[in-house]
Amino acid sequence: MKAMVIDDEPPARRELRRLLTGFPWVEIVGEAGNIAQAAELIGTLNPELLFLDIQMPGGSGFDLLTRLEDVPQVIFTTAYDEHAVRAFKVDALDYLLKPIEPARLAEALSRVKSAQAARTPKPDAVLEQIFVRDGSRCWFVPLREVRLLTSEGNYVRLSWGKSQPLLGRALAALEQRLDPSRFFRANRRQIINLDFIETVELGVNGRLHAQLRDGPEVEISRRQARLFKTKMSI
Amino acid sequence: MNDAERPITQPKSQLVYWIFQLTGWGVITFGRFAGGITVLDLAWPRLLLELLLINTVGLVISHWLRDFVRRNRWRALPIRKLAWRILVASFVCGAPLGIVTQFTYLSALVDPESFLRQYAPALQFQLALPFAIALEIVNWAAVFIAWLTIYFAAIALREHRSAQLKQSELARALQLAELRLLKSQLNPHFLFNALNTVRSLIADNPARAQDAVTRLARTLRYTLTSPQDELVTLSQELEIVADYLELESMRFEDRLRVEHHVPDYAAGVQIPVMLLQTLVENAIKHGIAELPSGGLLRISAVVRNVTLILEVENPRPPAPTRASAHEGVGLHNARDRLRLLFGERASLELDLSRPDVATARLRIPVNP
Repeated sequence: MKAMVIDDEPPARRELRRLLTGFPWVEIVGEAGNIAQAAELIGTLNPELLFLDIQMPGGSGFDLLTRLEDVPQVIFTTAYDEHAVRAFKVDALDYLLKPIEPARLAEALSRVKSAQAARTPKPDAVLEQIFVRDGSRCWFVPLREVRLLTSEGNYVRLSWGKSQPLLGRALAALEQRLDPSRFFRANRRQIINLDFIETVELGVNGRLHAQLRDGPEVEISRRQARLFKTKMSI
Repeated sequence: MNDAERPITQPKSQLVYWIFQLTGWGVITFGRFAGGITVLDLAWPRLLLELLLINTVGLVISHWLRDFVRRNRWRALPIRKLAWRILVASFVCGAPLGIVTQFTYLSALVDPESFLRQYAPALQFQLALPFAIALEIVNWAAVFIAWLTIYFAAIALREHRSAQLKQSELARALQLAELRLLKSQLNPHFLFNALNTVRSLIADNPARAQDAVTRLARTLRYTLTSPQDELVTLSQELEIVADYLELESMRFEDRLRVEHHVPDYAAGVQIPVMLLQTLVENAIKHGIAELPSGGLLRISAVVRNVTLILEVENPRPPAPTRASAHEGVGLHNARDRLRLLFGERASLELDLSRPDVATARLRIPVNP
């Protein structure tokens, strides 16, 4: 598994590298001391796992994640900001407190391994997980759990569980990288997750309406209706 | 039992009480005596004897009265309830004295009849006995009203003073607690990062790891034990700052460079403990740590016009991040401490007039 260490303190990076020698399946493909450098390296190296410090010069670890289109698995490493990490609404995430205990590292890595196994292999272009920061809250959002994406100008509102975080990207750009077997453009403003469709009804205006589980009813535009019927084989 | 309820038994207040008691009754005795022999032309030996006897009884009654009001905690009463109690008690105490007085030589002192007999004999005025007695009783009651009023006024005054004293003691204790709180506390971020550095150095460079542990121990000891002294010399503070900076440079490596310009004549000046340390921590946190390539941290001191001017400079990150956008708790606390210790005579400013350098400037009066 390709991993990257991102920390502004050289001794901290060396220490983590040393600790990771005990896990030969984790291959450190690069390291960075600030987020600009990290963003660049992630683009070229495509790591599957990041060891990410939170306080860094020029921007925090969270800033880095919001910059990334597709977010790999992340283990936060921090000396004292665990409250910042814990404040997150995320389960798919682990954090290690520095100095890092080898046993805790092993635990975090085994979690990464099982999460990796659960991921179905996808073409590279397809987004798995995105990082969303809305106000003071942050989320790791696995896209397969998002039932509806609604365009709001240059932003996209994600309907995910009980939350409705706003993502700073345009819907058109995001659509290119969504899994086409799962996501369907229902109308000009909305993309729905087919896995969440409960019922489809014909409305009085002659249009199809898809009722989403835990979510709103979405109208399928006339243009998309034919494609939708083929897709759902109705 | 709290302080407000404790009966007054301190020797000093006992003495004050007896001085008041004897002076008060002395003045009454003398006044009546003087009145009797000058205005009414009474025979002085008998007058004096009777006055001494009856006023001694008055003194004994008032002393007993004091005992009574203390036992019944009258001083805790609201003023209205106290007022009518004073009135009743005064008449109760005044009544027997008034009756007795009417049948002595002293009655002439109060009875308008004796004045009239002497100054307007033509009027033939004679007061009926019950009225004469009532007049005597009122006269005596007035003495006890005055006595009790003075007594409770003195108690109220003393309680007010001790409340004020307590208030100022409380204010001082609060100030001390505030000072202790404002003093730079152990920065956990620094501590855990330092420990992580040490862990790394143990493998990389054991000798340097040993040095780091020693410095860390010194820094901790200084931070944890310093609350005993408010002031230290600049050179003492600089020693600990040097340990701290050495630890930070192990962490940041070539990102942190340090320069000192502290002349010998400034090294002995007394400064609040941990204050320079706070400024240096701030410079690291908002300057060096925010810059990918780090920079120069400069500490300089001069003494001008009996004032120590201490400056800590650090490079400024181009766009202030959230952490450095506002001044931060550290500087704010440092300013509060200075105000508590020196009032208006010391100051701390953050000079941001240069685009690339932030300067924390501290001015402290030099004590002779």
